Amino acid sequence: MSDMTRAWRQFICRACGLIYDEELGDPDSGLAPGTRFEDIPDDWECPLCGVTKLDFEPYVRREAAPAATVAVGPRGTGIVVVGAGLAGWATVEALRELDAEVPITLVSACRGDRYHKPELSLALSRGLTAESLVRETAAAAARRLGVRLYSETFVVGLSPALHQLRTTRGTLGYTRLVLAQGARPALPAVLPPALCWRVNDLAGWGGLQAQLARGPQRIAIVGAGMVGCELAEDFARAGHRVVLLDRQPQPLGRLLPEPATRRLRQSQAELGIDYRGEVDVTAVSVLADGGKCIETRCGQRLVVDQIVAATGLVTDPRLARQAGLAFDQGIRVDPLSLRTSAEDIHALGDCISLDGAPCRFIEPIGRQARAIAQALLGGDGGDYRHSVPVIRLKTRSLPIELHGTPCADGQWRVVSENDDYLLMEQRVAGHTTSTLRVGQASAA
Amino acid sequence: MNSAVALSPSSVAGLADERLFAEVRRIAAGPLAQLANRIDHEGHYPLEIMAQLGEAGALGAHLQCRGGRYDIALAAMQEVSRSCGSTGFLVWCQDVCGLYMEQSDNPALLARLSDHAQGRTFGGTGLSNPMKALAGIENMLLRARKVPGGYRISGSLPWVSHIAPGQYCGAIAAVERDDGSRSHEIMFLLDIDACVELRACPAFSGMEGTSTWRIQLDDYFVGEDGLIADPARPFIARIRAAFILLQAGMATGLVQGSLDSMREVEPVLGHVNHFLHDRPEEIQAEFEELGGRIMQLARNPFDGSKDYLLDVLDARTQGAELALRATQSALMHQGARGYLRSAAPQRRMREAQFIAIVTPAIKHLRWEMARLMKEELPA
Repeated sequence: MSDMTRAWRQFICRACGLIYDEELGDPDSGLAPGTRFEDIPDDWECPLCGVTKLDFEPYVRREAAPAATVAVGPRGTGIVVVGAGLAGWATVEALRELDAEVPITLVSACRGDRYHKPELSLALSRGLTAESLVRETAAAAARRLGVRLYSETFVVGLSPALHQLRTTRGTLGYTRLVLAQGARPALPAVLPPALCWRVNDLAGWGGLQAQLARGPQRIAIVGAGMVGCELAEDFARAGHRVVLLDRQPQPLGRLLPEPATRRLRQSQAELGIDYRGEVDVTAVSVLADGGKCIETRCGQRLVVDQIVAATGLVTDPRLARQAGLAFDQGIRVDPLSLRTSAEDIHALGDCISLDGAPCRFIEPIGRQARAIAQALLGGDGGDYRHSVPVIRLKTRSLPIELHGTPCADGQWRVVSENDDYLLMEQRVAGHTTSTLRVGQASAA
Repeated sequence: MNSAVALSPSSVAGLADERLFAEVRRIAAGPLAQLANRIDHEGHYPLEIMAQLGEAGALGAHLQCRGGRYDIALAAMQEVSRSCGSTGFLVWCQDVCGLYMEQSDNPALLARLSDHAQGRTFGGTGLSNPMKALAGIENMLLRARKVPGGYRISGSLPWVSHIAPGQYCGAIAAVERDDGSRSHEIMFLLDIDACVELRACPAFSGMEGTSTWRIQLDDYFVGEDGLIADPARPFIARIRAAFILLQAGMATGLVQGSLDSMREVEPVLGHVNHFLHDRPEEIQAEFEELGGRIMQLARNPFDGSKDYLLDVLDARTQGAELALRATQSALMHQGARGYLRSAAPQRRMREAQFIAIVTPAIKHLRWEMARLMKEELPA
């Protein structure tokens, strides 16, 4: 009786995926429409693969796979750009400025939405979210620029001799290839990725922001380089309790001379940032209440809600190694043409190295993209002139600006100094090679 | 006809290696080639060929006890698959079963390894479902219950190849606690004895000579002597790259066979065939590039790093894609003669489709590569 009123159910064969629908039955094997699963004889066999009733389970419809944007149409030739960060999109823009027709394919490991990465260092105290940081969705940008977009697609192999790029959504041929794959956080083994946030892209920042939106928290930032110092200030301004850890005695100690780092530390202390220098993290663990515990070599034990690793970036060498591209701290490119060691492959942005040195700043990216577009479409090229960008720290309480390339063991000299402002310079062989401004120059 | 071989071991310096290759080539081009249609049409299970291959040393070259020569094992598999994809698959089954036995370090299984490696006994692999289950694609089908001295296994496993009464295969079962929850997995060698029921599987469109059955287990006992790994996961993590890498030899064999077929008709059909794409030179170039990479990977199948595994998954995927293209192109090159029921090109197309869908299928390989490459973030 109850059978008449109960809803029809479905069962799936765990072996082959065949679905048995009670309403339809399986007339071919003698099960009339309306045969309840429990009424099926035990020796009944799956009509497709032959397993028995025991290997069926209630069928629960799986959620549809998250919709990634995948281009339709031929996967043929044209320019393929790998990476949809600032460098990838800048390349696409530069190419389109020169040529409205050339086929362009963009492959992105993430969604590929457009946002301005430096904003991540200031976004929390401004109350922004991952959504509000997006200036243009990848799909909209791809439409506007006439680009075939493969989002959430990983590049897994590259064969320059075949002009073949292999991805997790199939193999693409290319006429010219531009690598803008970026760099990834260099996580020391002691900082497990499942416990430590990294702020190197929108997804990483967005995950952390979602956690921090629940209210003021204790945050440990490991690494007091530029990113670590910027984030510390942003998080502190957003009302969180920040402890900043580094091996150096002072924040930014690897880059700046002592008088400057002392001022920075003072400024951080005024914001409530607890800087702990000369510490080496030896273990990270989760406590029963969900808190995270950091232990240091010198015996400190810190309990916080969130850990952020700001321990630098590296270029993933796998693709370059597999493709036989010259690699030295990054994909080696010719400093003028930005061509890699392989024919028809250029690279720019965080993933490259120039004369063995990576240069992971925003400023050169636009010029690099234009130089590559020129080389790919204009015939010539080789007009990129690398210059060391000015470093401006987004530390609002104490602006810091560094021009030139300071030499690690060079001597810094104070040029002028007062309570609010410090000007220093480094000279080599009678020439000023770098200048450092800390604080606001008063109207003098 | 004897075009460059993509999978050529780095140093076939030794006389023994040369003799092994000559013998494999003789078997593949002679008796196996003659049997290929019987295998394909009648489902003949060519154990007599497997025994010859075993005697020649082609089924154990990759084992550590024989020097761990994955390059030789792959090249031999390529040569066999060039003549018959079904038999190439049997070689892979036998090879990975030997891998399980040797890596188990179980003295009882090591004692059986020599016969296995020489093709005096035969064993396959039932890891299709477990491999997908461990990757999160589907559920584990066999269930184990701890009992004194071992485990009792129940459940049914479809599509297990290269098995028959008196043979054996590797298998994995999820261990259930009394309350039905699952604690871990065990891996064991399943001896096909009177307690194991083999049931027929529906016919496939190809690969019918691989003796593929559905296994039904009802409280089957596995003791110490049969255990390959307990727990199974660390073991699988260790052997997974080698397991997948070995499959590449089947793909390159089909590509090689397809190149043979394309070139065979060049004298008579070359004047029209040059209007086709995926010409032999194009396929050959990709074949050699892929082959070179596979031979590099064969040097260190237990590398264990994530990058290495990605390289293996990539090469295996590329092999499957290339086999699909090459076999299709060979049929286009041969035209009607390749479409004959007795012709190799149409058979190879079905064999290549199998390579593309056998676990891990192209879609599983890409799923796994995406999973490995996705950056892990805190929960």
